[in-house]
Amino acid sequence: MSPLLPAIQALSGHVSLLLLGAGLLLWFWGTWPLLEGGSYLGRLHKLSVSDTLGSALMLLGLLLRIPGQWPLLALALLGLIVWNTIFGYVLASCSLPPPHEPPRERTAPHRSDRSR
Amino acid sequence: MGFLLSCLLRLLLWYLLTADSSAVNLLIGVALALLLPHAEGPRQPLGPLLRALWQALVAVPQAYGEALALIGGGREQERWLELPASAPSQRLVIFLEVLAITLTPFTLVLGLSRVDGRPIYRIHQLRPMPRHSRTAPKGTTPSSED
Repeated sequence: MSPLLPAIQALSGHVSLLLLGAGLLLWFWGTWPLLEGGSYLGRLHKLSVSDTLGSALMLLGLLLRIPGQWPLLALALLGLIVWNTIFGYVLASCSLPPPHEPPRERTAPHRSDRSR
Repeated sequence: MGFLLSCLLRLLLWYLLTADSSAVNLLIGVALALLLPHAEGPRQPLGPLLRALWQALVAVPQAYGEALALIGGGREQERWLELPASAPSQRLVIFLEVLAITLTPFTLVLGLSRVDGRPIYRIHQLRPMPRHSRTAPKGTTPSSED
């Protein structure tokens, strides 16, 4: 057994804690603006910091802590980065009105109107 | 080339999901990657695809830099931008470009549209104000509205 191994394990434990803490910090920083005012898109920018970048740091911290599970953690990291980002794009895109929306015409009364 | 990249990505996902590098398992992965339906459409050129892939990879460290700039930046300003996009027929390239732009916290892609026949990305940008303009009188900073 190499004499360096315990030192590397201790270092990896410390780096892992640092990554988990940094991820938690990004989580709180990005989530807090959701409770405040400000524009929808501005809040979405900050949410991407917490849910994508913060969570990715946490997964990297877990990767150092349980390296035996690297395939599943790598899959989670890949899925997190790709789908969180694309979900952010979908939310941003849906916040805008369609570019050429035809004027709305009320052709039939609502069911609640008919019942009156 | 898009077909090959798509198969490689499927094989990678299969390997990560099963965590088994035996020959039989990899053969099953190759068979599944080939047999599952593939998107139809024009051929995807390799050069722009690799460039977009590189941009998406570089965007990851860049995103952390921008996150730190936002955290320590104080007041922010919002802007709407238009940036040139690749041809919409190159679907993989568009996907990777949208990923690279939206992953970085300063910018969000709102959509793809055409101006004078050229495809462009409509982008919302949020970034810290430059230090010299923070003391500017009220009303000189770009307004933000949704």
